[in-house]
Amino acid sequence: MPASILEGKNLKSNNQPSKKRTIEEINTKIRKGDIQVLPVSEFKKLVDSKGIQVAFNEIDVVTTGTFGAMCSSGALINVGHSDPPIKIQHAWINDVPITHPGAAVDLFIGATIGSETKGFEYGGGYVIEDLVKGDEVELRATAYGTDCYPRTEVETTITKDDLNQFILLNFRNGYQRYSCAVNGRDEIIYTYMGKLLPKYRNATYSGAGEIAPLSNDPNYETIGLGTKIFLGGGQGYVIGEGTQHSPSTGYGTLMVKGNAKQMNSNYLRGATFTGYGSSIYIGLGIPIPLLNIELAEKAAIRDEDILTDVIDYGVPRRGRPTLRKVSYKELKSGKLNLNNKEIKVSSISSLEKAESICRELASWIQQGNFTLTLPVERLSQEGQAKPMRQTKGGAAFVDSILQKAVTCEETEAIETVAKRLITKNVNHIVVVDTNYKLTGIVTSWDITKAIANGVKTLKEIIVTRVYTASSNEPLEVVAKRLTQHNISALPVIDGTQKVLGIITSEDIAKLVGGNING
Amino acid sequence: MVRMMLRFDNEKVHEPVTSQVILEEKIPLNIMSAYVNQQGGEILIDVDSEHAERLAKAFRKRGVTVDVPKLIEKDEVKCTSCGACVSLCPMNALKYDPSNKVELNEAVCNGITCGLCVDACPVRAIRLLG
Repeated sequence: MPASILEGKNLKSNNQPSKKRTIEEINTKIRKGDIQVLPVSEFKKLVDSKGIQVAFNEIDVVTTGTFGAMCSSGALINVGHSDPPIKIQHAWINDVPITHPGAAVDLFIGATIGSETKGFEYGGGYVIEDLVKGDEVELRATAYGTDCYPRTEVETTITKDDLNQFILLNFRNGYQRYSCAVNGRDEIIYTYMGKLLPKYRNATYSGAGEIAPLSNDPNYETIGLGTKIFLGGGQGYVIGEGTQHSPSTGYGTLMVKGNAKQMNSNYLRGATFTGYGSSIYIGLGIPIPLLNIELAEKAAIRDEDILTDVIDYGVPRRGRPTLRKVSYKELKSGKLNLNNKEIKVSSISSLEKAESICRELASWIQQGNFTLTLPVERLSQEGQAKPMRQTKGGAAFVDSILQKAVTCEETEAIETVAKRLITKNVNHIVVVDTNYKLTGIVTSWDITKAIANGVKTLKEIIVTRVYTASSNEPLEVVAKRLTQHNISALPVIDGTQKVLGIITSEDIAKLVGGNING
Repeated sequence: MVRMMLRFDNEKVHEPVTSQVILEEKIPLNIMSAYVNQQGGEILIDVDSEHAERLAKAFRKRGVTVDVPKLIEKDEVKCTSCGACVSLCPMNALKYDPSNKVELNEAVCNGITCGLCVDACPVRAIRLLG
């Protein structure tokens, strides 16, 4: 037979019309040890080199993964009954307050709860990690005592082997995508997205992009209630949609659980975000059975097609402004173009660990240790998270107590400005240019000093390094800025430096006082 | 810039080694700190990275011990390569390698004069040294 015909035949066998696979066929192959499984990043390369049809025909299962800070996490533990028994009311492990969610000895270790002695440097996430590692932890509990549970105090040391159950529970995990964070303020801010330098000097992002679970199954066809997963180095399950699941905006989430006794600290780590608090990093891996070519096509998605928002975390409001759309390809390049400037961008979730989770899960499947499940119920594919309904005394913002600023120009005489302070009965005069843009500030104290020291011109005493506020900032943030810099007023400006008014510590005090009296 | 520690023993300390090296190699260097007496001495210098290797060779040839002191330490066991430090580093001393592992290049790190990365590490794997 001529070679060309042979090649043609091979081509045909690899390019045969879409077949379908069932989950049973896949599991039979896993048990027999002849399953074809690839980490999803390698599957995408295969699609690039051989085309989707060949890739689908050759590969049965792809594995996806992510390793990130999962603040909405915790662990449910049952510590067993003491003698005499106690109905725990308050509990601490290694000085971290533990919630008591059930009957007598069921406890919930919240990942973000800080230690009462070490602050942010130790917290629930670390307690979970210590238990996972097999370390001894100190449990302390108190109770009011009942006829059936007479004990009122208990103190003991325990390890994970002493626990009846040790269940890792993430109620929001595996975000389909997450925003990229920048900071437009003129000070460093510490956020759950990491440390953000002033004036948009760096950017951070989270999520593994094209290798993350939900990026590869965007309609939740194979990932749903009952899907068996890799969790923290052990095995777990998806138990439903995560809290704040927002499929309509492309921000789907998962709720997952797993037996933490099987987990290991390679894939589960306590963490601290300075200025924010304690948290936990958790590795999540999900296999996707390529049941049909449509699923294979979805698993071929690339970073350039996964878009997210660049958000200004410098604005301390729920509705933080979106500065632009960005692809995970650009984010992973390390450089982000913002306002025509190139800034450094890096992830806060580990791409290296995400890849290693994909590989580890693939090897479990390859070795016949992990079979696949289909969801018993699908996650909702529509809807989005609602904001809080605030029925009582909503937060106050700068614009609610904004006063008209008394202003002057820097060419005016000191005496004129001094008189204006008296007639207008204020302590601060905002210095503006002819376009009413901020150039400085002068206080009554500056004027008094100037007169006492015989200073002649206003220009010499103007403070030009001025701390400012914007009209949509919460008063808590502005009050903190006043205290931090030991000042008593902030000019309020818009994006073009134009003066909108002034806010003083007196006005804030009046508001707080008013609330107390009213 | 590269920071180097020059160590002179009790013999070398009596020779004008540093001036000789500067004159012969024509490499400007900046002395950050120095402690010298009859028994020997230690001089911490800053030198332009492109001359660093040539300068180190010239000193070593004259019997001076040359070390590049560690300014920052990254605990490789603790580090998860999350990358929270990478965008903060003004010197590109913290970078991803091709497999997305975060690597520290101590030679270009500014150490205590910067320290931006230290409190940004979620697993506290980075430590400033002296």
